[in-house]
Amino acid sequence: MNLFIFALRNLRRRKIRTILTIAGIALSVAVLFSLLAFQAGYEHELNKEVENLGIHMLVVPKGCPYEAASLIMHGGVIPKYLNESELTKIRDIQGVSVATPILLHQFMVNGSPHILYGIESSDMLKIRPQWKIKGRFFSDDEKQVMVAGSTLAEKEGIKVGQKLSFGPNKEPFEIIGILDKTGGQEDEFHFVPLSEGQRVFNKENKITTVAVLTDDIGITGTVADRIEEIPDIQVVTMSQITGTIMNIVGSAKTLLLSMIAVTLTITAFGISNTLLMSVYERTREFGMLKAIGATSVDIGKLVILETLVVTFLGGVFGVLLALLGSGIIETFIRANVPYAPSGSLISPDPGMLILCIGLSVGLGLVCSIYPAIRSARKSPMEAMRSEIS
Amino acid sequence: MNIIEASDLTKVYRRGSELVHALNGVSLFVKAGDFISIVGPSGSGKTAFLNLIGCLDHPTSGTLKLNGIDVTALDERRRVLIRRESIGFIFQQFFLIPTLSARENILLPLTFSKKPVDQSRADEILELVGLSHRKDHLPHELSGGEMQRVAIGRSLINDPKIILADEPTGNLDSENADQVYRIFRDLVNRGYTLIIVTHNTELACKASRVVHLRDGMIVEPKLEPTTPML
Repeated sequence: MNLFIFALRNLRRRKIRTILTIAGIALSVAVLFSLLAFQAGYEHELNKEVENLGIHMLVVPKGCPYEAASLIMHGGVIPKYLNESELTKIRDIQGVSVATPILLHQFMVNGSPHILYGIESSDMLKIRPQWKIKGRFFSDDEKQVMVAGSTLAEKEGIKVGQKLSFGPNKEPFEIIGILDKTGGQEDEFHFVPLSEGQRVFNKENKITTVAVLTDDIGITGTVADRIEEIPDIQVVTMSQITGTIMNIVGSAKTLLLSMIAVTLTITAFGISNTLLMSVYERTREFGMLKAIGATSVDIGKLVILETLVVTFLGGVFGVLLALLGSGIIETFIRANVPYAPSGSLISPDPGMLILCIGLSVGLGLVCSIYPAIRSARKSPMEAMRSEIS
Repeated sequence: MNIIEASDLTKVYRRGSELVHALNGVSLFVKAGDFISIVGPSGSGKTAFLNLIGCLDHPTSGTLKLNGIDVTALDERRRVLIRRESIGFIFQQFFLIPTLSARENILLPLTFSKKPVDQSRADEILELVGLSHRKDHLPHELSGGEMQRVAIGRSLINDPKIILADEPTGNLDSENADQVYRIFRDLVNRGYTLIIVTHNTELACKASRVVHLRDGMIVEPKLEPTTPML
């Protein structure tokens, strides 16, 4: 039996204490791991989503930029509209390659929210050349036709060729295509020609936003400035959106990291306390071990090994807990965080795993040094004479 | 040849602000194969003396030789080696590891001496202490007498020359105490040197020599050793 096996067997002596210590560490590690995985996943998905939008900037009515961000990321609705006349002005601005109007409107079907995405298909397809469609896309002057997002089609059991009652007057719209899965919010959208969207929901001449593609990404800033000269509108560039969202997430992350630092400190105190209690209780046993041939180094090693096993297991269980609980965490985050991208928010990687388990083991090492030295330095006589058995 | 030569050993330690003179010049010479019991009232210095012989503690003055080696001023590192190689300890409270079986408890000292595990030696020891049938039992499944026999087995695994026992029957009933003494006698017959500290004068008398301690000094025996029990 080597020292490691002996340490393992020792941990079985006070099972409840060992389990509780492991659980405490596991919880702290799970929180840390989840946060790191969330941060990585969120940033990755957000960038991917913004990239998938395929546009350089959006023109929206003047207002809160967060509303604008929400609009872009979620297809949310802001109760302000641009006029089509403004679209013409934008199109005339030098450097604008494509400017395509979008009407977003939220409506309820059987109590659940649905989103209308009114677009001019020719321009939209220039922006999203990667779109693949089962069936076909509509042309701008078609009436009562619709293309459904893939998730929407799945959820509602929509098939190409089917008629769907649409809008306040329950007009029969024909499904002429289903968009292949894009992984973005558009999987949930009802796409109709802009003019049809405006007609059905009484938004004549109104558009929610104009998606703009410039001649060259390098001139986005200049073009944005030119567009902003038009009164009562504002321009939100994609980098601004990503930056704004990451700022919000970043502040939350700093706060959470501080909380984790506090949690880890509390955990460290907990480990130290448990360890000191444990070595104190075993003072006479350590004395006996020295009497039967253990050196001070052996005793110190034994204490450290026992702690490392506990903290390693705590780290592993913490990571497992985080992985198993990622679904719940993701649901929670989606319900509470604005602008959650649609892909997986939790993106763990091996580096993170090693970091979390390593941190846990490192914490154990630091916490065990004092109890180990304290136990090791006691002379066998002193230990055996101790009142503690 | 004397395996233990203790000359004029004193031990003074501090208890709070008070100096306690545990030993006041104890000299004892023990031949290899001797079976000695040390008796005396509480506080007479029995355990303090045993701890000095066992290299668990330093004497304040005097000299101590074990097997011809002066161990009086050895550092802890070298004392550990002496303890490992030459001395087996048996304690009143047994001090068995509760999660290790009888056999594993017996083998425990090899974890520290890093000697290869000799299973046949473990079997031999289990047989000697009469626990071959209980070798896989955990301490809580054993009686007090059986636990002490495991502890005796543990003291033998490194094959030491000297066995030191501090109140080995203190927690045992008379039947188990007798059994433990029979094993001790057997060990002496096999050439081990045995020193036992005990309060139990009846059992002490079964040793081949009885040393009386009082106030940290060896005093004239009031008891004569009787014929050893076989």
